[in-house]
Amino acid sequence: MSISDATTFTSDEMASRADMIISDGVDKWYGDFQALKGVTATIKEREVVVVLGPSGSGKSTWIRCINRLEQHQGGRIAVDGVELTNDTRNIEKIRREVGMVFQGFNLFPHITVLDNITLAPIWVRKKPRGEAEQLGRDLLERVGIPEQADKFPGQLSGGQQQRVAIARALAMEPRIMLFDEPTSALDPEMIKEVLDVMKELARSGMTMMVVTHEMGFAREVADRIIFMESGEIVEVGPPEHFFTNPTEDRTKLFLSQIL
Amino acid sequence: MSMSQLDAETTTILAKLDADKALRPDEPSLPVGEWMGKNLFGMGQGSPWAVVRSTLLTVLFGLLALFSYRGFLNFVFSEERRWDAVRTNLRLLFTQAYPDENYTRVWVTVAIVAALAGLSLGLMKVGRGLSMKRIATWCFAWGGLIVVGILLREASALTNADGSIQLDVDKQPIREGFIDKLGERGTWWVLGLVLLVIGSVIWFTLGDLRRRTTFVPAIPFGLVTLGLFISSVWWFNWGNYTFTDDGFTFDPGNKVAGSTQMPWTLIFVVLLVAYLIGQFLLRSERAGTFRGVVNGLWLLAPFVTFWVVLRGPVIDWSHVLSTHLPMALGFIVLGGALLWFLTQPGIGEKGRIIAVALILFALFNWLAAFMGWYPMLQKARLSFLFLGLAAAIAPNFIGDAKQRLKLIYGWVGFMTIFHILVTIINTPSSVEVPTEDFAGGFMITVYVAVFTMIFSFPLGVVLALARTSRLPLFRMLSTVYIEVIRGVPLITLLFFFSVFVNLFLPEGMELSGLAAVTVAFVLFSAAYLAENVRGGLQAIRRGQYEASDALGLTTVQRTMFIVLPQGLRVSIPPLVGQVIATFKETSLLAIVGVFDFLRIARDVIPAQTEFLGVKQENLLFISAVYFIVSYSMSKYSQRLEKQLGVGER
Repeated sequence: MSISDATTFTSDEMASRADMIISDGVDKWYGDFQALKGVTATIKEREVVVVLGPSGSGKSTWIRCINRLEQHQGGRIAVDGVELTNDTRNIEKIRREVGMVFQGFNLFPHITVLDNITLAPIWVRKKPRGEAEQLGRDLLERVGIPEQADKFPGQLSGGQQQRVAIARALAMEPRIMLFDEPTSALDPEMIKEVLDVMKELARSGMTMMVVTHEMGFAREVADRIIFMESGEIVEVGPPEHFFTNPTEDRTKLFLSQIL
Repeated sequence: MSMSQLDAETTTILAKLDADKALRPDEPSLPVGEWMGKNLFGMGQGSPWAVVRSTLLTVLFGLLALFSYRGFLNFVFSEERRWDAVRTNLRLLFTQAYPDENYTRVWVTVAIVAALAGLSLGLMKVGRGLSMKRIATWCFAWGGLIVVGILLREASALTNADGSIQLDVDKQPIREGFIDKLGERGTWWVLGLVLLVIGSVIWFTLGDLRRRTTFVPAIPFGLVTLGLFISSVWWFNWGNYTFTDDGFTFDPGNKVAGSTQMPWTLIFVVLLVAYLIGQFLLRSERAGTFRGVVNGLWLLAPFVTFWVVLRGPVIDWSHVLSTHLPMALGFIVLGGALLWFLTQPGIGEKGRIIAVALILFALFNWLAAFMGWYPMLQKARLSFLFLGLAAAIAPNFIGDAKQRLKLIYGWVGFMTIFHILVTIINTPSSVEVPTEDFAGGFMITVYVAVFTMIFSFPLGVVLALARTSRLPLFRMLSTVYIEVIRGVPLITLLFFFSVFVNLFLPEGMELSGLAAVTVAFVLFSAAYLAENVRGGLQAIRRGQYEASDALGLTTVQRTMFIVLPQGLRVSIPPLVGQVIATFKETSLLAIVGVFDFLRIARDVIPAQTEFLGVKQENLLFISAVYFIVSYSMSKYSQRLEKQLGVGER
C-alpha cells in the first residue's frame, strides 16, 4: 500500500471500520483551570490522526488521558471496546494495547537498548527471553539501528533514542500508537529519521494518534487532522481541506502564524 | 537487572575512561619555582596585595601544619609512650576473651574473609592501575614527610646506664644535641631518602611519558605491600600475650608474633591463591555469574562465620530430625507447590486473594505471639510471612514453566538457607567464653556493624518505598517511624534496648545482650538509610514512571526494574556515608557495657598492673584502625560510583 492509497480512503470505507478510540465529552481540570472541555472524537481502526494546536491547547493532556497517564474527570473514553474507568484491570488491558512515545524519549538509562525493548514483553506479555530478544532485534532492524542493541541509551543520539522508544512501544505489539510531540526535543537534522520511521508505521496500517508541530508530516501522512485550542476541538478534517480551505477563523489564524 | 548487563555497562564506562586517558595530551607542567610563585605566593596576578595576602596565608598555615606535625611526632615517639601496651594487648584488643583452645576458629573466620576478599579482588574489573606519575608523587610526599619529620622531631633524651632518663633540675629530660639527633636516626634517613630518589628517578627520566605509558597494576601492588607487612610477624617482636584464661597476667615466654606466624602466613597464602583463582575466573565467559556467586557468599559469610565457625553449634540431631527438618521440608514442598499453583496462567483474582489471606494469617501469628494465644516457633512465623510475600509477588512470574520455575527455585533456595541458618543460630554454643558476651574487641565491633548493615538496608529501602508510596497509611506509618527514630539520640535507644526492652516483649520472646543492642542499631540505621534512599528515589524523573506505566508494568515490576536500580545508584554516596557512620557509632557499645574495641582500649588495658593508666596510646591506635577501615570504605564507594556512572545518565 502506497502513501497515496493510505490518504485516500473513501468515507464509506472509514465508516465500515471499527472504532478504536472513542472520546466522548471528556473533561479535565487542573485545579480551577479546565484543560479539556468536552472533547469528543472517534478514531477508527488503521486511521492516522494528527492533533494540531497552539501550546496549552490541551492536545497532550488529551492523548495522555487515553492511556490513563492523566485521569479525565468527565465524559467517557473507550479504547478498543474497553471502557476506561477506575478499574485497574481495564487500565492494565488498555495499556497493553496502547503504545506510547514521549517527547523526552523516557528510555530507561540503566539498562541496554535491547533490555529497554524486551523488558515489557518478558514481564508483561510473559514472552520467553529468547523470543523477546529476537523480537527486539527485529524491531531495531525495522527502525534502522540494529547495531545499537547492546549500547546504553545515554550513548545514542536523540534521534536514535527516539527510534528505540518507538521500538520499545512496538515490542508490546500494540493495536494503537500514541505519539506525544515525538520530534519536539530533537535537533533539526534528526527529525527526519524519526518521521521516516513513523511514516513507515502509518503505511503498515497501525492506528496512530500523533500530537506534533510537523506540518509536513501532517499533510503527508494524516487521514484526518484535529485542530484544538483552549481545550476544545475547533476543526476536524482531511489534510487537503485543513491546510487549503479551513472554515474556522481560529484555524486560519493558527495556520497563518505557523506556515 | 542481571549481572551481565551491569558488566556491559561497567566495561563500556571503563573503556571510555581508558580512551580518555590515552588520547588526552598532558597539560604543560609549570617548573616548580613558577608553580610555587603562582599558587603559594600570589604572583602573576599583577597585584602587590595579592602577593602579600597569599604569602601571609601560606606562611601562617604552613607554620601551623609544621607545628602540628611536630607535636604529633613528639607525642608518638616520646620516650614516655608505652606502645608496648598496644603491642602486648593486640589479642585482647581484637578478640577479647575468646578462649585459647578454640582460637583456630578465629583464624578460620579470618581465612574465610581473606578467601572471599581474594576472589573479589581477582574478579574485579580494574582500569589501568596506578600511573607512574602517581607513584612518583607518593614517593615525594612520603619521603618528604619522613625527612621533614626527622628535622622537626625533638632530640631523644639522654639515658643513664640503667636505662632511666636523665633529668635536669626542673625534672625535664636532658636531650642530645641537634647534630647528634640527625646522626642517630639512620633507618628513617635511609627510608626517606630512598623514597625521594625513587620519586626523582621516575619524575625526571620519564618526562611526560610518566603519565601515559607506564602503569603498575594496583591490586598486586597492594598485595605485595600487605605481604611485606604480614611478614613482620617473622622478624618483629610484637610483644607478649598478657591474657590467659585465669585473668590478666603477664606471660613473658609467649610472644604474640610467635603464636601468629603460622596463621597469618597461611591466611596470606589463602588470599593469594584466592586472588589467582579469581583472576583465572575473570577470563571466563561467565565472570559476571561468578561475581554474583561471590557476592552471595559475602552475604552469607557473616552468618556462617559468626554462628557456625566462631560459636561451634551443638546440634541435637534427634531434635533436628524430628522437628526442624520436617518443618523445613513442609515449607519448602508445600510452599513450593502453592507458589506453582499461584503462578499458573489465568489464576486471576484468586491468586491475589490467597496472597492477602496468607499475609493476614502471618501477621495474625505475630499478634498471637504477643498475646500468648498459642505457641509456635519463631521460625514458622517468619516462614509464613515469607510465604505470604512470595505469594504476593507470584503474579509477576505467571507464564511458561521456565518463568514459573524461577520463583520456585528462589523459594527453595531461600527457605533452605533460612532454615539451616536459623536452626544453627538457635542451638547452644560449644565455645565457652568466660565473659558475659560471647566475644569482644574489634571482632564484636565488626560483627555488630556488619549485621546492622545487613538488616537495616532492606528495612531502610522498604521504609523509603513506603514513604514515597501513594497509599496514605504506608506513608504515614513510615513517616512517623522515621521522624520518631531520628528525633531520639542513638544512645537513648541503646540504653532502652539493653535494659528495658524485655519488659515490653511477651513471655517466651527475649532479646538479650548483643542481640538487643544490634536491634537498636538496625532500627536506628534504617531510619537514616530510608531518608538517603528516598533522596535517590525522588531524583528519578517522572518520565520514567510514565514510560513504565505506559508499557503496562505493574507497580512491583516498576519498583524492582526501574525505580530501585536507578534510585539506589544515585544514593550510593550517602548510603556508604551511613555505613561508615554506623561502623563508628558501634563505639557507643562501650557505654552500654559491651566490651567493644573502644572499651578495651579505654578501660581494660589501663587496668592491667603492667600498663596501669596507659590510655592515650591505645586510643590513638584504635583511632588509626577505625580510620583505615572507614577510609577504605570511602575509597571503595568512590570506585563504585565511577563504575556505576553516578551522575551520568
